[in-house]
Amino acid sequence: MIPAAFDYAAPASLEEAMALLAGHPDDAKLIAGGHSLLPLMKLRLATPQLLVDLGKIPDLRYIEEKGDHLAIGAMTTHYQVSISEAVRRRAGLLADSAAVVGDMQVRNRGTVGGSLAHADPASDLPAAALALGAQLVARSRSGERVIAAADFFQDIWTSALEPEEILTEVRIPFQDGKAQAYEKFRQRAGDWAIVGAAVSVARRNGTIDRADVILTNVGPTPVRARAVESALQGQPVSPEVVRAAAEQAADGLDPAPELKASPDYKRHLARVLTRRALERALQIS
Amino acid sequence: MATESVIGQWVRREDGERKVLGRAVYAGDLRVPNLLHARLVLSPYPHATITRVDTEAAKAVPGVVGVYTAEDLPLVPPDGLTRSRDPLARDRVFFEGQPVVAVVAESEAIAEDAAGLVEIDYEPREALSDPVAAMENTHVQVHDSEALGLRDDAGAHTSVSEHTQQLPMPPNGTTAERYQRGDIDRGFAEADAVVEHTYNTSWVYQGYLEPFSVVAIPDNAGNIDVHSSTQGAFFVREEVAKGLGISERRVNVRTAEVGGAFGAKYAVFDPLVAALAWDTKRPVHLTLTRTEDFLAGVPAPGITMRVKTGARKDGTLTALQATIIVDTGSFPGGTAGIVALLLGGTYRFPHMRIDAYEILTNKPGCGAYRAPGAPQACFAIEGQIEELARTFGLDPFEMRLKNAVVEGDSMPGEETWPRIGSREVLEALRNHPAWQNRHQKGPGEGVGIAFGGWPGGTQPASALCRLNDDGTLTVVVGSSDISGTRSGFALLAADAFGVGYDAVEVADAPTDTAPFAGAAGGSKITFTVGSAVRQAAEEARRQVLAIAADELEAAPDDLEIVDGQVRVKGVPSSAVSLERIAALTTGFGSKHGPILGSGRAAPDDAAPGFIAHLARVRVDDETGKVEVLDYVAVQDVGRAINPAGIVGQIRGGVAQGVGWALLESVVYDESAHLRTSSFMDYALPSALEVPQIDPVLVEVPYPSGPLGGRGVGEPPVVGGAAAIANAIYDATGIRPTDLPMTPERVLQALSQRSS
Repeated sequence: MIPAAFDYAAPASLEEAMALLAGHPDDAKLIAGGHSLLPLMKLRLATPQLLVDLGKIPDLRYIEEKGDHLAIGAMTTHYQVSISEAVRRRAGLLADSAAVVGDMQVRNRGTVGGSLAHADPASDLPAAALALGAQLVARSRSGERVIAAADFFQDIWTSALEPEEILTEVRIPFQDGKAQAYEKFRQRAGDWAIVGAAVSVARRNGTIDRADVILTNVGPTPVRARAVESALQGQPVSPEVVRAAAEQAADGLDPAPELKASPDYKRHLARVLTRRALERALQIS
Repeated sequence: MATESVIGQWVRREDGERKVLGRAVYAGDLRVPNLLHARLVLSPYPHATITRVDTEAAKAVPGVVGVYTAEDLPLVPPDGLTRSRDPLARDRVFFEGQPVVAVVAESEAIAEDAAGLVEIDYEPREALSDPVAAMENTHVQVHDSEALGLRDDAGAHTSVSEHTQQLPMPPNGTTAERYQRGDIDRGFAEADAVVEHTYNTSWVYQGYLEPFSVVAIPDNAGNIDVHSSTQGAFFVREEVAKGLGISERRVNVRTAEVGGAFGAKYAVFDPLVAALAWDTKRPVHLTLTRTEDFLAGVPAPGITMRVKTGARKDGTLTALQATIIVDTGSFPGGTAGIVALLLGGTYRFPHMRIDAYEILTNKPGCGAYRAPGAPQACFAIEGQIEELARTFGLDPFEMRLKNAVVEGDSMPGEETWPRIGSREVLEALRNHPAWQNRHQKGPGEGVGIAFGGWPGGTQPASALCRLNDDGTLTVVVGSSDISGTRSGFALLAADAFGVGYDAVEVADAPTDTAPFAGAAGGSKITFTVGSAVRQAAEEARRQVLAIAADELEAAPDDLEIVDGQVRVKGVPSSAVSLERIAALTTGFGSKHGPILGSGRAAPDDAAPGFIAHLARVRVDDETGKVEVLDYVAVQDVGRAINPAGIVGQIRGGVAQGVGWALLESVVYDESAHLRTSSFMDYALPSALEVPQIDPVLVEVPYPSGPLGGRGVGEPPVVGGAAAIANAIYDATGIRPTDLPMTPERVLQALSQRSS
């Protein structure tokens, strides 16, 4: 469990970090909380020549309300997000998801940006980002671009970020009035999700206007449960509607078998958790 | 006695504070001048022929001192298959993770870099993973019978004694025994109901915090010091001495602080590290990584038990028939005998036939884990008893009390049970509010009980007791403290001598000077060493009283030790302090010899400890997830010498039992590749999975134990899986037969129930 030799840099500014990345396009890795990268390095599955630590850059930790959206600095920790009054009020699903990431130690050190950029399908925040319609801001020396969450997660551990880009901010449109919840099934407190379900429901006059239902850990990226979404759309809020819609949560799902769960079991959990998340979000049961 | 007895005081473990504060010094923490570090190259194949090993590139790395294959180690080849004294693979590997090459370098990082440069070519062979298939597989052998030292006549159906027979040895078998009594067919003919299931339990990992860790330090006079994370210093000494081919007195083993052992840590890597130090003539350190510890450690075996039980309507058991298959991995030595003893020896069966097999597969050689074989046997037999009780509509306690063994009842072999607290623990649990209020339960909840025991072990032990200048005592022992035994020794010595607990210090001496003690296994350290400690303190007291009698001109029988003074009973002014006695026995020209009590014990019978556990669970019938809400653990401890220590043992054992029941499984795939090589995949319970536990101590004194004490370390883990399984049965009506009872397994059983 000793990593291969590497160089370490802790730049004090984003500009400095971007310059370092540009100088090492193939062999540098950014490190934020380090929970995913360091174990890979200790197993020598990752052998970067240069680690660029973003922890010393002061202006990447913030939660701000800006016009119509929340802006969250990439180095904001899960814990900060989970206790933020602004996040609870403006994007409840994100607070709900961040509160169940890993355990207390992970939430105190792990960051929103690190978790999203790592693009692990078993992580909780990617599903939430999709359900919330998040926009991810990436910067490099050649400029800034904004990537929709729907385009960000491309494959297992693969995001739309270019090697020289740094994820600096997550923007989340205000979710005021939406019914939201994240249900996570795990064997033990502190574990990764075996399956998770993030739901966000917009209602108008007792009718479902739009539903976003995203599943964690049932494919190489977070998976949108389109059949559930369309079964809900335009329907009145009722236990029967929710129950029937949730039954379709596994339609088209082809999850890989895991040590802790067979594909069939994951499909079953997708249905149960989708229903539970909807019931909790809509306060029906 | 004038001083109030300290026995039964709740005292803290003396090692607790330094461990909690991170100040304890473990073997791997040791830093000595010129220390070298070893890293191992492990086989990626469960079964393969080694065709080439090239260490040149590794040797060329600056800072590398040596790169070793089996042929390079200065170890005496052992007679049979002994992994510890033949630690590197020769021409063949038998399990994934078997060490093949050891690299020794000036730093761990250099050794790790160089280990990555060792080139080994393998020709993979068919690997055996399933023991049930392995015992029918005539074309693949894990070891040939010559290597195993099996005699040609091992296939004969021979009678070893009245109740024990050798069975024909199956392919890949190392043990095949039958235990029988009465007439099994008649037993089932007399039964009004028969239940029969096959139970499978997983391989489990001991989950100690500190991985295997050794530092070996040679001197230039042919001696070697070994600092080891071990349960048994004297056993390590023996293994290292045999390995190096030197006298045991040349090997000095110091039991460093042990960061958990649970049966795994006898002597696995010590001869290897000693050999590396011997050859390099420098101190060598090896600490396994967690992944290496999963791969190359000694996890506990998976066990398959086919069990059939019959009973009459009134609950009287009539017959037990069982086949036990213990998967011992790639080295012989398993627990089939203990499984047989506890399957067939917890209740009275007039008619019984148990066939017990130990089968080799291409997994690491199995090790012990806290009450090896007992939790598995308890899971199986308690499932059968519970099902029979329900079949007849009998109260589960009535069913158990009617059939539970008591003193004088037979075990499956030739032995009979000594004085045991079997009925006492059952009665105590039946009266507990958690059982009395069992009907008050929420949705999905169930309550289950389990009854079982652990036979315990015994081994000779000795101890010394010295009086210090300040009137305190130092007790010297040679046992390794893996469970708080030092605190128990201090209480026993304080009580026997007549001082307070704080006036006794316990020193673990290294093997070159320590009084002999066996390894800390079999729940026997307080039971055996404790008796020796007590004797040593009693002798020290007699010596002190004799000197005081001389000083005070009184008869020794008229003296008492109170508040650090020896005084004449009823005449407090006529007294001499313990400090003064110490001075009188150590000063220049003193006429009395120094106070030195010694004690020796060789209890001829082990002291069994019985338990009765209750679990309350909630089952989520949509996901299959089981939550343990409440737990009661009743245990016969003989005499509670340090209740705080016992309660700690019970809490730890129950936590492990919850892990065995619901979470833990070392998974090997069908080719015997390890799938769980980190704590991410191998799920230990966290504090949040462990329920409220109510430990209840029952005291049925054991005649040859210290003040009636019994071993308490292993019994607490015995009932966990069984009690939780029976609680799931109560909640849902499903009958779990496979451990661990994961959400997916429970859900599958639930869906089969409803279909």
